[in-house]
Amino acid sequence: MFKLPRKTLINFILVASAVLLVSIFLSSFKNPAQKIFKPHLSFVGLVKHEVSGIIFYHRNMIKAERLQNDVDWLRWRLFGLRELSQENARLKDLFNFKQKSSLRLVAARVIGRTLDSWSSSVIIDKGRYNGIKSGMVVICPRGLVGSIVESADNTSKVLLINDPNQGIFSIVQRSRQAGLVNGTLGTNLIMRYLPDDAQIMVGDIIITSELSQIYPKGLLLGRVVNIGREFSGLNRYALVKPAVDLANLEEVLVIIP
Amino acid sequence: MKKLFFLLTIIILATLGLNWPNFLNFFYCKPDLLLIFMVSLVFYTDFKTALLFGILAGLAKDVFLPWTLAMNTVCFGIWSYLIYLISRQISTEEDYVCWAIVLAVALLNNFIIGLQSVASGNIMPPGIFLRNLIMVSVYTTALAPLIFKLTKKIAA
Repeated sequence: MFKLPRKTLINFILVASAVLLVSIFLSSFKNPAQKIFKPHLSFVGLVKHEVSGIIFYHRNMIKAERLQNDVDWLRWRLFGLRELSQENARLKDLFNFKQKSSLRLVAARVIGRTLDSWSSSVIIDKGRYNGIKSGMVVICPRGLVGSIVESADNTSKVLLINDPNQGIFSIVQRSRQAGLVNGTLGTNLIMRYLPDDAQIMVGDIIITSELSQIYPKGLLLGRVVNIGREFSGLNRYALVKPAVDLANLEEVLVIIP
Repeated sequence: MKKLFFLLTIIILATLGLNWPNFLNFFYCKPDLLLIFMVSLVFYTDFKTALLFGILAGLAKDVFLPWTLAMNTVCFGIWSYLIYLISRQISTEEDYVCWAIVLAVALLNNFIIGLQSVASGNIMPPGIFLRNLIMVSVYTTALAPLIFKLTKKIAA
């Protein structure tokens, strides 16, 4: 069926070699390509944002009313907590606690998402010119978002925490039980390598551990929604619902160390 | 001029893919528009143009993925060549034959990318692997007629 003449075979080998060369030097194509795409990606993102605002007007109105109620309640709570905070500050001064250095953050807007369903990443509109480098941590006010895997001049690629390539050393906030949190491409993350007698239960909060090389300690990852036994029977695992709505990210903050 | 339009189509489809609205996602899956375009090029243009723009479409996809391997560039080139060989053996005048080819290519492409992801040590539940394999391929095939029409118009 596939009988090849000599000339076609040579042509095929030439094309295959060219393709292989391109694939080897893929990284050199990334920066110029992302530079070309950035302006209209930002524009299309803006249009998409506005159009979905109009389409989902009613849903957004209901949501805004509910959020307004939450804001009123939280304001009332904040009033009480302010007193406690002031007392805490006074006590810290008294005990001469070392003040933690505040994190330097760069705000960025999400301008694109991954092109396929086998990875989970977003493209943000800040890059090397803004001091963003590969390996930096990305958060949003609700919790951990991911880490920078590539940074071009004006854009960067963020690998989200639900990508299978992510492995985050984490702990259970209540019991300090350690485990490794991986992405699964699904709605939940999976916390693995939990021993049989692990101190973990549904509803526990998972945060990053200080043993993690990339992520600062104490960043919120999510809440345990299910616990099960691994196929091998040796360990247990926990399914963790991320605190951040990763499907609807719009703005993120990059931590500059 | 046609080639410029093909290049423009790749840029538009890549932009659409990067900004694909969430409410159009089907079971968290989005269609592979560039793959449909690559297949349609083989049917409506000559082999060299199809191969060149097929590889470019693969490259456009790889540039925006968080991997260092250019899997799609290589795969799209191979698929272009294989579809060209098949289209010389069978009649592709009927629409459903073209859609069947899109489905087969989408399944194979997703299977290879998924397998590569699993082989590199990533943990992926079998359910999610199958969801990505089947739903993405079916969704891609469902949108094939639209891209086919577009390519036909540009190529005419």
